[in-house]
Amino acid sequence: MNTTQQAERFTIPIGPQHPALKEPGHFALTVDGEIVTSASVRLGYVHRGIEKAVEERTWVQNLYLLERVCGICSHIHATAYCLGVEQLAGVTAPPRAQAIREVVAELERIHSHMLWFGVAAHEAGFDTLFMYSWRDRETVMNLLEGLTGNRVNYSANVLGGVKFDIDSAQADAILSGLDFLEKRTHHYLDVVSTDLVFLRRTRGIGVMTRQQAEVLGAVGPTARASGVERDIRVEAPYAGYSEYPVSIVMDTTGDLEARFEVRIKELFESYRVIRRILRDTLPPGDLTTRVPRRIKENETVIRVEAPRGELFYFMKSNGTDMPERIRVRTPTICNMTSVIRLTVGHQLADVPMILVGIDPCFSCNDRTAVIQDSCGNRQHWTWEKLRQYGIEFYR
Amino acid sequence: MNTVLSLTAILFFPSGLFLLASGLLFEWADRKLVARFQNRVGPRWFQPLADVVKLLAKEEIVPDGVHAGLFTGLPIVALASVLTAALYAPLVGLPPSYSFPGDLIVTVYLLSLPTLCVGLAGANTIDRFSLIGATRALTQLFSYEAPFLLALLGPAIVTGSWQIDEVMRAANGRWLLLTQPFGFVVAVIGLMGKLELPPFDAPEAETEVVAGALTEYSGRGLALFHLAKDVCLVVGLTLIAAFYLGGVPNPLVYFGKTLVLLLGIAGLQSLFARLRIDQTVSLWWRYGTLLVLAQWFVMIAWKVLVS
Repeated sequence: MNTTQQAERFTIPIGPQHPALKEPGHFALTVDGEIVTSASVRLGYVHRGIEKAVEERTWVQNLYLLERVCGICSHIHATAYCLGVEQLAGVTAPPRAQAIREVVAELERIHSHMLWFGVAAHEAGFDTLFMYSWRDRETVMNLLEGLTGNRVNYSANVLGGVKFDIDSAQADAILSGLDFLEKRTHHYLDVVSTDLVFLRRTRGIGVMTRQQAEVLGAVGPTARASGVERDIRVEAPYAGYSEYPVSIVMDTTGDLEARFEVRIKELFESYRVIRRILRDTLPPGDLTTRVPRRIKENETVIRVEAPRGELFYFMKSNGTDMPERIRVRTPTICNMTSVIRLTVGHQLADVPMILVGIDPCFSCNDRTAVIQDSCGNRQHWTWEKLRQYGIEFYR
Repeated sequence: MNTVLSLTAILFFPSGLFLLASGLLFEWADRKLVARFQNRVGPRWFQPLADVVKLLAKEEIVPDGVHAGLFTGLPIVALASVLTAALYAPLVGLPPSYSFPGDLIVTVYLLSLPTLCVGLAGANTIDRFSLIGATRALTQLFSYEAPFLLALLGPAIVTGSWQIDEVMRAANGRWLLLTQPFGFVVAVIGLMGKLELPPFDAPEAETEVVAGALTEYSGRGLALFHLAKDVCLVVGLTLIAAFYLGGVPNPLVYFGKTLVLLLGIAGLQSLFARLRIDQTVSLWWRYGTLLVLAQWFVMIAWKVLVS
């Protein structure tokens, strides 16, 4: 590229460190005035090597590790892993455990969506809404702490079941907490659908048609806001979802407003199903079943609905007490292409909103990055080379 | 004796050090009010002062690719211009230290200099966030400046003088807010645009352009820009209170009225989501300017018909 062209192209780097991003990722936006003309993304700054680490630990130890793939939707990762191990070993967790898994998963969805709601309001410069929604989010955090002992990384699952039971006092606390949250959620739905200034930042912004959503492989609330009927809880019920089903929340407009409304309406669905489980009384029975320490050679695929969309686990066992291979595909990686596509043609001010509209979670989706220069040459980094680079870098 | 009094007025009271102190106090009040509106605890009373002292004590880093003289000079010009503007304003309810016919125009011009300096400071660096921030700051300057000036000239037209002192004396005890509501609203919102307060904080929207035009500033330059903004807030509130809220005859009334205004501004800050820069511009030119012009038309027609 010669210099005149470079002068004409005005590229805004968002990230790896930028106030709009809560985690590192790099977006190079070419702008013409305020209008974005092209966008590219580079991920992989927080690759942690979990998939490799998993192969060197036992099935039981891995539960601890995989629960830490994501700091926000930790329970759903552990659930996916437990369901997979149970499937590989040919056992099923008791119904009571499955129902408790669903309760924690839905509480986690509430906490995740409210967290997202606050972050999205902050990106729109609406800090008051941010502060209020995070204050109310404390309610569900407290419920989770009362139930599991932790605010994040609840550690509710064990292989073959769950660690704890829900007694009536805890159930009552959850139910009254949900009443408060439901009242607040009605208010928030009111705000995002009637606040005129806020609507000017969301209505008609980042519109993704149904066709685009299908081509780009969008998942979760992002896809559902564009009219794609895709919810693993409904399509392929896991854990307790066949017994206590949820209904799918959809919108068809596909803009940011729709994404706000879909996520907020999903909260009502979560409240409803948790109430149903806790009021209908949980199915009686044990909390755990026995899972063998070594698992015979086998492989399986597990799909669950994380708050951000479809979470996919491929698991392969080799007859020892360690897995042969576990592949994790998180929802953010599926939705990331839509961000790149949708930002083009919008204003720079809308970019953080569109990015946050998919509820990105960077460290979950970061995998080994292969660096390819403009001529198509790939750089392969061996362990020795990386080590040398590190030593040189900090000298 | 006269020289001593002038120097005191410029350096200590009511301009100078006292003005800087009240600027920090008003900033604290604003931050505290917004924090309470947002269900936060908010800063302690000395936090703005602590920020300034800390910044002044820090090394100022002059980045590559800037004109070093401009880089260090612009914050000083910004602060100096608002401090000069304060000399013509009825601070603390006292009559202005200096006054001459037409000083209203000079004051409004001096008040807009900080924004101009911020824009230049951003354009001076090669940082992209600064450049975008500077473009936005200047775009915003061109959109709110005209309505803000027109809104402040409303009371002047009623009085028939463009001298702050005379307008103030004429407005004393007469709540022009009631007869010129549009002018008042536009003046208050114009002040918010001038100070880049939410929802008009697109030039420094942290989620888009980090800190906008001032991204590359650290240490002394940043502190001086902040002080300039604080002083601008005080002078702006003083002018609006004196013109529209029935004058500021004594210190007690002065602080009462300016703080009530600040309460309103803090409320507006926490009510809205940030406007995009194109939305800000269209708001000002489509509604702000037109409203004030309509009011002007009514006022002039009234004057012609009555006299």
